[in-house]
Amino acid sequence: MLTLSALATLVALLIAGVSIAGVLGRIVTMGIDRRLDAQLTLIASAVGRDGEIDRGRLRSVQPLLDAGPGWRWRIDAPGGSIGSDDLPVAAPTPPGPRRPERGPGQGPGPGALNGRDRSGDQLHARQVTVETGAGQVVLTAAAPRDVITQPVRSALAPLLATLALLGAVLGMAAVVQIRLGLRPVRRLRAAVGAIRRGDARAVDSDQPAELRPLAEELNALVRENDAALATARASAANLAHALKTPVATLGLELAGDPRRAQVDRIDTTIRHHLARAKAATASTRAATPLAPAIAELATTIARLRGERGVAMRSAVAADLVVAVDPADLDELAGNLIDNAARHARASVSIEAQREGRLVRLVITDDGPGIPAADRARATAPGVRLDERSDGHGFGLAISRDLAELHGGTLSLEDAPGGGLRATVTLPHAHRDDKPV
Amino acid sequence: MRILLVEDDPDLGPAIAQALRQENCAVDLVEDGVDAAHLGDTERYDAAVLDLGMPGKDGVTILKEWRAAGRDLPVLILTARDGWSDKVAGFKAGADDFLTKPFRIEELTMRLRALVRRAAGHAATRIECGPLAYETQTGQFELDGLPVRLTALEWRVLSALMLSKEAVIERLDLLERVYEGDADVESNSLEVIVGRLRKKVGAALIETIRGRGYRLTAGGAA
Repeated sequence: MLTLSALATLVALLIAGVSIAGVLGRIVTMGIDRRLDAQLTLIASAVGRDGEIDRGRLRSVQPLLDAGPGWRWRIDAPGGSIGSDDLPVAAPTPPGPRRPERGPGQGPGPGALNGRDRSGDQLHARQVTVETGAGQVVLTAAAPRDVITQPVRSALAPLLATLALLGAVLGMAAVVQIRLGLRPVRRLRAAVGAIRRGDARAVDSDQPAELRPLAEELNALVRENDAALATARASAANLAHALKTPVATLGLELAGDPRRAQVDRIDTTIRHHLARAKAATASTRAATPLAPAIAELATTIARLRGERGVAMRSAVAADLVVAVDPADLDELAGNLIDNAARHARASVSIEAQREGRLVRLVITDDGPGIPAADRARATAPGVRLDERSDGHGFGLAISRDLAELHGGTLSLEDAPGGGLRATVTLPHAHRDDKPV
Repeated sequence: MRILLVEDDPDLGPAIAQALRQENCAVDLVEDGVDAAHLGDTERYDAAVLDLGMPGKDGVTILKEWRAAGRDLPVLILTARDGWSDKVAGFKAGADDFLTKPFRIEELTMRLRALVRRAAGHAATRIECGPLAYETQTGQFELDGLPVRLTALEWRVLSALMLSKEAVIERLDLLERVYEGDADVESNSLEVIVGRLRKKVGAALIETIRGRGYRLTAGGAA
């Protein structure tokens, strides 16, 4: 963008420079031509009607003809020539209709004649033909070409300097203009980034007139996306409800029947795929405070698993905010805490702290843990359910899916005193960057 | 043990009610949220099993209304929604337990007996009164370590007395916890049941408090 603009400025300046130099050359040439024509008029006054050259008259105008070194003149009359003999020779006139005869001084006016003298210097000459009684008299006046090129050249140096300065100023102006002009676009980009990170719900509609339609379109897109996501989640939940109730009825009717195992398999499959569907449609634009979510989950799970008498200790800083949808965060952390509460002997500890752009959530239990060989399998996506008989269900796999979907990780390791330690990293939501 | 069962599915509701009755519970089944809210407000139940998505009134709304009105009966939410957010919302609304469909009936009855036990103020799962013991996890009564065979009505009366052991239970209170809402109750039926129970577990255990009700006490056996 900037390069293109600089290039255009450079080309414009080059064209301007060339044309100004051309105009300058023409103006100087015109001045020289006028002087040469004046000389021609002077020497023409020494040519009589009969073609005779009045030498006395020539002598009297001689001082006026002497304009400087290299200036010269010549009269070619039928009766002989006078003046400098070192003049460029006119190219032979191509054969064509002869010009109509005119009286002396009534000719077509002087014509230009450029060439070199014998020493090779360039000359700029003017020539006129005068009709006399004795025949044609050719008058020529010449000046060194230097008298044209010298002033043009000396004018060109400051001209080029001025043009270069102008170019620099124009370039800078273009840079400033582009930066200023693109500033709202950069702000808009930052606003869209804030939506994606979940720091904002919509783009500020207070935009320059050119960008307002774009901002409105973006907001409409965000709304539509949110609505589509909500619909997808609602239909997943509806599907769950619709399937689970008949499965529950079937299960009750088959109580004590060996076929009940098939109902359990149907149930597990439904749960598994619905949970995966939920994880796959998870929203990545959100900012959810971590501490209240963890506190509520811990309370809920403590009540659900109350009969196990497991103590839950939680140390979550109050100011942590994660870029994870609230329902996804509940699902992600709920599965891990529930898993820990289910397998713990006496206690579960939940800790979270900020690490740069990430939040690290560590859930440790003092249960039997998972053997290292089975750990990868416990969270491996796509593992068939009946292969997973470790009692950890598919909650860990869902947690891993959700963490990775939000740009985080889940890792399992041995806790220092035995038991399982699940470490989740999640992106911290940058609320402080929010342009409000 | 009398349970308010709120389940709008026409197949699942009766199936759960049937299964709970086999576990000796008295069950009032309603399929509509408005009826459920009304019954919970006016009748005496040991616990409620509440579905979340229902016509008329949503389960969470009913629960919040009960809690706001000071109704503290134990509530178990039974739902197909198994997200942690749903569970958190359920407990925040005042639920005591949460079970997701499909479920095993043994788990439902065990959880219900645990809820009723805790609501009566017993921390331990086994309640003892003299030679009589009540194992709340299985719902079994033992006398001197031997299982006692009881009819559903006998079990309801004895479990109510056991949970409030050493305290008087008003006769009307006991009646309400033993019979389903639409049952025809003979005026002397409770006395008949108590009489049969005295034969099974020993007359000294169950005291009649004239003009008030009954009391299960280990003191009377001495």
